[in-house]
Amino acid sequence: MRLHILRALVGKELRRHIANRGGIALGLLLVVAALLLSVFNPAGLGAGGSSADEGGTGLVGGVHHCFLYYTGEDGELISPLLDHLEQTLPSELAPHVRFRNLAPDRIQSGLEYSPGTASIRITAPVVDGSRRLRVEIFHPPGAVAAMAPYEAWLWRELRDGLQLIAERKLQSLGVRKPAIRTTGADDDDLWAVRDSFARLQQDVEEAKPGADIVPAVEIDRRGLGGQVLELRSAIATALVVFALYFSCVYLLPTLNCEERERGVLLAQALSPASPFEILLAKFLFYPVMGGALAAVIAGIYKPAVLSTLFFWMGLFTVAGGFLGIGMTIATLAKTQRAAFMGAMCYLLSVSMILIIASTNGIPVISNFALEYHVPRVLHAALSGSVQSDHWLHLLAAMGLAAIWLTVAGWLFRRRGWQ
Amino acid sequence: MQNKPAHFAFFISNFELVRLGSKLVRNSERESPDMTDAAISIQGLRVCYGRFTAVDGLDLDIRKGELFGLLGPNGAGKSTTIRVLIGQRRPTAGRVAVLGKDVVREWAAIKPLFGYVPDRENHFEEFTGRRNLEFFADLYAVPRLRVNECLKMVELDDAGDTVVRGYSLGMRRKLLLARALLHEPRVLYLDEPTANLDIHSAEVVHRILRERVEDGATVVLTTHDMDEVEKICDRVGIVCKGKLVALDSPMNLKQQHTERKTDAILTTGERMTINMDREPERAKLAELVRSGATASLRTREFDFHATFLKLTGQAFD
Repeated sequence: MRLHILRALVGKELRRHIANRGGIALGLLLVVAALLLSVFNPAGLGAGGSSADEGGTGLVGGVHHCFLYYTGEDGELISPLLDHLEQTLPSELAPHVRFRNLAPDRIQSGLEYSPGTASIRITAPVVDGSRRLRVEIFHPPGAVAAMAPYEAWLWRELRDGLQLIAERKLQSLGVRKPAIRTTGADDDDLWAVRDSFARLQQDVEEAKPGADIVPAVEIDRRGLGGQVLELRSAIATALVVFALYFSCVYLLPTLNCEERERGVLLAQALSPASPFEILLAKFLFYPVMGGALAAVIAGIYKPAVLSTLFFWMGLFTVAGGFLGIGMTIATLAKTQRAAFMGAMCYLLSVSMILIIASTNGIPVISNFALEYHVPRVLHAALSGSVQSDHWLHLLAAMGLAAIWLTVAGWLFRRRGWQ
Repeated sequence: MQNKPAHFAFFISNFELVRLGSKLVRNSERESPDMTDAAISIQGLRVCYGRFTAVDGLDLDIRKGELFGLLGPNGAGKSTTIRVLIGQRRPTAGRVAVLGKDVVREWAAIKPLFGYVPDRENHFEEFTGRRNLEFFADLYAVPRLRVNECLKMVELDDAGDTVVRGYSLGMRRKLLLARALLHEPRVLYLDEPTANLDIHSAEVVHRILRERVEDGATVVLTTHDMDEVEKICDRVGIVCKGKLVALDSPMNLKQQHTERKTDAILTTGERMTINMDREPERAKLAELVRSGATASLRTREFDFHATFLKLTGQAFD
């Protein structure tokens, strides 16, 4: 490796971009977008700093999946109740509700809620020697109403279910026709709901005093503990990812193929520059350019992120992975147009796969895409919410980046320059 | 030069010394008894593209300090041979050596020794002519002054700061030559170097090539311009269907392959063609001239074009 050759090759790449101006213009646009994102902050929030119930709004409103967690501590109460709930689940809600057994021994780590998801937890703890039915609603922060369709069904059927259980027990205890009021419990007013359960308990108690058939129902409704995808940090993440994607997966292959098409690559190959030096110059220039642009954007959005190891590790990983993807496209494509189409098709196909996998609950496939881990890693870095699972995402991204670089290197060795 | 920093002047003077040294070495090579040593040695070269054989058992030695013309019809294997010589195509069989180095195994060592002018221009369109040359000058570690020299040599010094996108086809080809000359290569390959050039520019190219040869460099060019071959080439190799069908100086080839004939128009209006290689016909012509029976006589000039067509089997009856 000769420095004067490397300098000349890197300088050539830079001068080409200065002469063409298109890449620089787009880079500046990204910087301007980051500046606007930083300057215009209507909620007055710090970068990425929305509290659970205050500012955050998901990119898509509503709850598309509701997880109903339950524990099987009390077989006499929970199991028949769950059976009733499952049987009475309206068909329009059925695809959106997932029943999950949340036995304490099955919980190994904190639950992570993707944007657009929420949960209902039904447990039957014993408090002060008496059985209680505790129902907790966890809605997306700032979006209580998003759970309305689920709650309407839940309160109504939960009360009906409890009433059925009570009637069966009363019958077994010899009470033929208990006087139970059938007040609906599908009100969205929690006080009315609580009152409905209280009256049921009272009616059953009056029918068979001291039997303790219907437990006291505790109702709680709160926002999810974590943060939802905050719009501003999501946009900042998108800008950072796009800067790297644009540089490594679009510019690198298209300009590489343009040089090949024009014969300029051949002219360089015939000069004293070795193939390794020509490649190294491209490897140095494009990820560095994309990385620098990404760092500038991230720095404008949240300067503190530049001092975090996690951000830089994420940035280098993404740059390496995208470089591998870009070089793979550059090696396979013969013309500039083919490289452009390759970059676009890759983007579209990966997006489609990720969307299909997430909407159909197939998380395994997503794990094989660099683009699944990358936004999570960078978003966590930019929003300052790095958790242990983000390190796992980073590790997965590193592995995928290494695979892409290996594939690119192998293909390049097989297919060569022409 | 005097205004340059001392270290730069030292570098330039060193470069000049290197140039002078290489010139002396080349002159001594020309004058040495083994002047016939091959700069390029091609032995049994065979290149196949799938089932198609582009070059079929080519044996050829090109001497040092020679301006060699490689001729042939389209698809004869000229460009494939050049591609092998510059290391861009692996031979299917055979051995090719340039300045004693194997093209396949020692490509990296050969690269700085040759210059190449391709048949189609391959410049950075967005750069000026000067910037294009400066980039390659940096790769070859040649001082920037040499860029000016080369631009001047091909008469592009006035257009040096114009973006290549605005160049004419002729200017682009001249810029290719300037680029190939930057590092003063010992071997120069040119694929149709005067295509799209006006008469003056073609003359300039011819002069430059002759100068390079006089400096001891070996020049190999492919062309379809027979006049150019006849005018500047020391030797010519004609390839057809991947095989070498003739190898000699243009003059010898003409003498060997052109029929010497004289067209006569008699005073009676009769036309006749005399084959000057046959004694009875020569005697008959002499008698006609003596008797004043000839109204017009025209000798057919040696025609390299006709020789080429004949050798490549393309001559019309």
